[in-house]
Parts: sequence; C-alpha cells; structure tokens
Amino acid sequence: MKPIRVLIAKPGLDGHDRGALIIAQALRDHGMEVIYTGLRQSPVQIARAAVQEDVDVIGLSSLSGAHNSLFPKVVAALEKEGASDIPVIGGGVIPAEDIPNLEAQGVKKIFTSGAPTDATAIYIKQLMNRETRSAPGKVSHIGIAVENIEQSLAFYQHTLGLEVEAVEEVTSEQVRVAFLPIGETRIELLEPLSDESPIRKFISKKGEGIHHIALEVNDISKRLQQYQEEGIPLINTEPKQGAHDSQIAFLHPKASGGVLFELTNPKGEQ
Amino acid sequence: MKDQNNFQQIKEKWKQDVKKTEKRFPERKQTFTTSSEIEIDQLYTPTEPDITYTENLGFPGQFPYTRGIQPTMYRSRYWTMRQYAGFGSAEETNQRFRYLLNQGQTGLSVAFDLPTQIGYDSDDPMAEGEVGKVGVAIDSLADMEQLFDQIPLDQVSTSMTINAPASILLAMYIAVGEKQGVSPEKLTGTIQNDILKEYIARGTYIYPPKPSMRLITDIFGYCHEHLPKFNTISISGYHIREAGSTAVQEVAFTIANGMAYVDAAIESGLEVDQFAPRLAFFFNAHNQFFEEAAKFRAARRIWAKIMKDHYKAENPKSWKLRFHTQTGGSTLTAQQPDNNIVRVTVQALSAVMGGTQSLHTNSRDEALALPTEDSARIALRTQQIIAQESGVADTIDPLGGSHYVEALTDEIETEVNKYLERIRELGGAVQAVEEGFMQREIHQTAYEAQKRIESNEDIVVGLNEYKLEEEVNPDLLRVDEALEAGQINKTQEIRHTRDAAVVERCLAELRQAAKANDNVMPHIVEAVKVYATVGEIANVLREEFGEYTGM
Repeated sequence: MKPIRVLIAKPGLDGHDRGALIIAQALRDHGMEVIYTGLRQSPVQIARAAVQEDVDVIGLSSLSGAHNSLFPKVVAALEKEGASDIPVIGGGVIPAEDIPNLEAQGVKKIFTSGAPTDATAIYIKQLMNRETRSAPGKVSHIGIAVENIEQSLAFYQHTLGLEVEAVEEVTSEQVRVAFLPIGETRIELLEPLSDESPIRKFISKKGEGIHHIALEVNDISKRLQQYQEEGIPLINTEPKQGAHDSQIAFLHPKASGGVLFELTNPKGEQ
Repeated sequence: MKDQNNFQQIKEKWKQDVKKTEKRFPERKQTFTTSSEIEIDQLYTPTEPDITYTENLGFPGQFPYTRGIQPTMYRSRYWTMRQYAGFGSAEETNQRFRYLLNQGQTGLSVAFDLPTQIGYDSDDPMAEGEVGKVGVAIDSLADMEQLFDQIPLDQVSTSMTINAPASILLAMYIAVGEKQGVSPEKLTGTIQNDILKEYIARGTYIYPPKPSMRLITDIFGYCHEHLPKFNTISISGYHIREAGSTAVQEVAFTIANGMAYVDAAIESGLEVDQFAPRLAFFFNAHNQFFEEAAKFRAARRIWAKIMKDHYKAENPKSWKLRFHTQTGGSTLTAQQPDNNIVRVTVQALSAVMGGTQSLHTNSRDEALALPTEDSARIALRTQQIIAQESGVADTIDPLGGSHYVEALTDEIETEVNKYLERIRELGGAVQAVEEGFMQREIHQTAYEAQKRIESNEDIVVGLNEYKLEEEVNPDLLRVDEALEAGQINKTQEIRHTRDAAVVERCLAELRQAAKANDNVMPHIVEAVKVYATVGEIANVLREEFGEYTGM
C-alpha cells in the first residue's frame, strides 16, 4: 500500500516549531511520508508545495494567534490551485471558541495543546481510509444464542414459518449452528457445545438472545489492517475461517457502543 | 589548617563587601527573624569548611559566585519583578505598562509582534495576520514614542525582546530618551540581541549568521561608548529549553553561544573587559525544583571560570553571570488552566533559590492566548507573595550546602562541560548551529519527552491524569483583528508626512556603512530619528547581507 503523504507547514511568521517537528516525527513513526516546509510560509506557498509534493493531507501549526486569518487562507489557496480535495488539519495555541469558525471555513479538524500525537496520526489514517472504503454490502446474518437449537427451532419454523437451511458444528468455536434464510439475510442460531464455548459464557452472563450482527464485506483483510491502524478495538486482528469457506472476524463491542459485530467475507471475493 | 585560614580570609573579604554594599543598598530590615523569633543570619556556612567549600562555593559576591553575585543578595533588594508584556497597538501596550508599574512592577519588558521581530513593517504582505498578535507592533519612531508615553526612561529599566533588528529598536529607544531629555548614558535596560538561539530554537532570524554576529558586535562597540549602563545582549537559554531541551542542554548551549559572542567581540577588536560586564543571561525555570535551583548555581560557576580562566578577564564584573528568569511556558497546560498558577509558583521559587536578578512569572492562561489583565496580575502577585510572605529571601542561598543540591550543581557542571567540549570540537557554537547539532539534540529530547507523556510514564496533572470531563473555557484576551488595518494606515501616514529626501539619504549612508564594514549603529540611530521604519532599515541590510533561509 502506498504510504500516506503529509505536508506539515508553518504559516505566518511564528518561529515555534517544536510541535510541528514532533508531529512530523510521530507521523513518520506511523509509516507516513512527511514533508516539513520550514518556517514562514505564506498560504499560497503552502498550497503550491502541497500540489507539487502530491500530498494527501496538510497539517498547519501556528502558536502566534494568527490561525483565524491564515488557516482559512490556506484552504482558499488550495481551491485556487484546484486542489481543494486535499484536506487541511491544524494545531497549535488555538482557543476552543475559534474551532467552529475554522471548521466552518473548511479546516477539517483542529488539534489543540495537549492532544496526543497518536490521535493526530489515527485521525489522518481514518481520513484517508474513509475516502477509499465502501460500506458493507448487507447484513449477512443475525446471530442468536440459544441453549438448545432443537427446542428453539419451534418458534422460528412454526411460529415464523422460516426454513432451516443447514445445521453445522464449528468445533473451533465449540458451537453448533443452524442457518435460517430470511430474504437476503439469515438468522443464525448458536448453541454451545461445551463450557468453554463463548456462547456458553454469553448465555450465563446475559441469558439467551441476540449475540451478534454479521456484516458482509469484500475487503476483510485490508479493512482489519486499517481498523488496527486507526485504533478501532478488535477481537480478531486477522481473518479466520468461517462457515462455507468464508473469512470472518469480530470487532470488539467497545468499538460500537456494546454491539458485537462480525465481518464476513464470502469465499472468493477477497 | 591552611584551608581554615583561607576560609577566614575570604569570609573577612565578604564581610567588607557586605559593608560596602549596605552603604548603597541597606538591608530591608534591621533584623530578620522567623515566626518563632529565631534570628536569621545573612548567610549560613559549614562549621568545618574544607577546601571543596572554599573553592566551589565560597561567599556570595565572590568568585566563583555559586552562592550568588552580590554580597547581600535579597537581604538588600529583591529581584526585579519584570513581566513581559505587549500586544496590539502602542497605545494599548502603554496602558498595560502603566498598569503594571502602578501595581508595583519594578521594570518593563517589551514583547514585540512577529513582523517587528523579523523586520517587516505592518503593511508588508509578509506581516498579514500577525500584526499586534504576540506583541506590540512597532513600525516607526512614532509608535515607540507612544509606547513609552508618560514613562520616564531615566526611572525605569526596559528589557526588549528583540534580536535580528535589535539595533533598530535600540536606536528608537535612544531617540525616545533624547526626546524626553534623557541622555543615552543614563539609559538602563537590556536588548535580547541573541541571534544564535534564534537559529536554534526561536525562529526570528533575518540575516545569515556571519553578518548577524557583526551587527551584535557593532552594538557592543556602540554601547561601550554611548550606553555604558545598558545590557547589550541577553544570552538566552529560555527558548532552547522551551524547544524541548533538558536543563543541562539549556545551560550548555547558552554558555556555548555566550562564548561565541565573546569570541566575535574580541575578534572585532574589543577588549574582553570592555564588553563582558554588560553581558546578561536569560534562563528558564521548569518544574523540577531542585534541579532548576542547582542549574542556576552551576551556570554561574561555569561562566565565572570560563571568563576568568579561559578569556583572562580581569574585572570581576566580567566574571559574574547576571540573569533574568522566566517560568516555563511549555510546562503550562491548556487543560484546567488555574493549575498553572501552582506550577508557576514552584518554578518562580526555584529561580529565587537559584539567585536570579529578575523574574517574569507566566500567567495561567498562556497555553491558550496572551494573558488577560487579571491573569497578569495574579502572576505578578505570585512573585510578591514569594518575596514578602514566604521568608525565602531573608537569607542568602538557603539551599547552599544541601548534599543533594550541591551534588546536582556539580553534576550539571560536569555534564555541561562535556557538551562545551563537544561543541568546541565541532568548531564552536556558530559552526554547531549551522550544522544543526543543537537543533537535533533538542528535537530528540523533545520527542522523547512527548512519548513519555503519551505513555503516561510522565504524569502531567490535568493532561494525562486527573482529567476533567468538561473543561471550562476561561475568558481570553483577544487582539482586535481591526488593529492591523489601523496600524497600516498609521504607518502609511508617517511615510507621507516625513521628509522623504532625508530618509533616503540616511538609508543610503547606512547602506554604505554596511558595505564598508563600519559600525552601522550611528547610522541606524540617524535613520530612526527621521522616521525611517523598521522594515525600511531591515530591508537595506537584507539587500546587503542576504537572508537566512533555515536548515
């Protein structure tokens, strides 16, 4: 994958570049290619440098109080250069009340004094990844934890009128699963095979019920790598073998406000 | 036994010095006592002094000045409380100055805006957005007259944070003095005039190192003749520390820079004792209390030895490292800004324990903006409380003799000397700066410090520990954005009303002096008097000297 290219720039006359230099090095440590303009760059110089260097993002730093005037001018200069697709982020000594105004004028994000360098790096990665990422295609299935598949089937088969497509054992997870197609998606009943099964643990803690939602994607490996870089909490950092030769991985419920999401990538679509 | 005799000898000398000093500056009180009526001595010394004591510490006001540069230190006079201030227009800053003087501040310290510091007039395209932001905008003598309106220059000492265009602003100060009827030899104050640290850490350079060093020695020469009471340079570690250095690096790089200025002045034909007594220093005070106090003591001792042993200065005034201290701006947090008052107190106390000659205490809101009047007052009050209420100024060098502080002082001296040796091997400070040696060392330290904070190895209260969910946004000082236009109008008005032909002639003479390697100072003084602007004068020198474009 091509590394993200970043232009770190000091607009105006401010000579304090401790922050700019630290950010530049931190982003390099995150695998990005960083060009630092040096001090005293005009907005037009910065926009031209960004175009010439073909960067993906511009980071501005100002500690002199000139941000309100200079940051929006960089955004405007980029537009003039026909490069308004290059996002501009900024940092420095910037009072909180100035931020909405800067964002309204096209600055994507402001990091103020005390923000960890990792937060900036992650934000840039998200920004870049978002541009290329497509949404999951559909809900692949909804996983429901049950004590006993046969006992639960009565409701799904008779009350709802669904049909069982298949029942399989997944020994690696210590579960037995039943799939019941419903439109383009499925309901997946999960029954624990032993006390070590994650489903057993789930049921003892929360009782029977919805366990997870599986989303179908076609870029599981790349997506997991990006999520990892962005600091999204994951249960599986690498895809593993799922049913029907699919590749699957779970995100950590911390990532999504308590919902367990599974990514599933059908066979042959990677 | 011999050591003992020597101790008595130097003690006698100190007592005589004290008597002499007391005639000019009597002690603040007849007797100093604690709350329990315990009488406080001027100075405490070991009961069984050995040779290490007499050689490394000695007595205040005596070589190597570890315990302070004056015989009585704060028993006679407190340090000068000097708050750095300036923003917006000359009128606004003049009002803040008069407010601070009314509140008991004892010296002025001018902050100039960035265009002034980099030699651009307010109407220069390069100045856009920066006019009046970090300090006061000064374009012509008219602004300077307004800045010191109703402030008699024979009664205040003024420190000016100005470097590359130091000669221009000093010339304006001289001209304002003359208009007030104060002759140059009566002027007291300091210009920062320390270009090397601009390349290293602060960034307001204009010209390349060589002609910049020449401007500095021109000022030394001119002031030796005309402004004998003015400090011609303030060799600054402050910004080196702010850029991320350690305490040792701060002292090492500052002293290395100091040596480069001494070398340059000697090379320009001055005798060391002609200019060395007017060299001043400027250090930072960060949070690690004992190391900071030890740092100041070590710096004094190192400089004294260098001036006496290496440069063979004979006047004891040349040996004394006099310094201003400012508390550490980069230690302040934007989060829970009131906590900064406490940080500033600890830092200020370390400067006082280290024997500073003057002190600026930062305001609580400086991680967010320039200080409001309320914040600036609390910062000044912090110094006043330390001076008047804490009793720390009632005896000289109270930490002297602490096993820990003395060991730290020795250790800092050793480590600084290692750096000085490395810089000497590189060919001196100018060469080291040009090669980026100091810049790299500082950057590495800064990056490591940042990593330690991000991994919570170092705790910064309110930032990575003891955080608040909701930060309250304090009221901040806002510089009026309309000020820039007003200042531009004012300067253009001056350009139309002054005698253009005289200005042209003065600038031509300045150009000639710059080419001919004559002292440029007298020509700059003439030029400012006829209202040539900072930008016009700086531009003549830009054309002659070229511009530094960074590493």
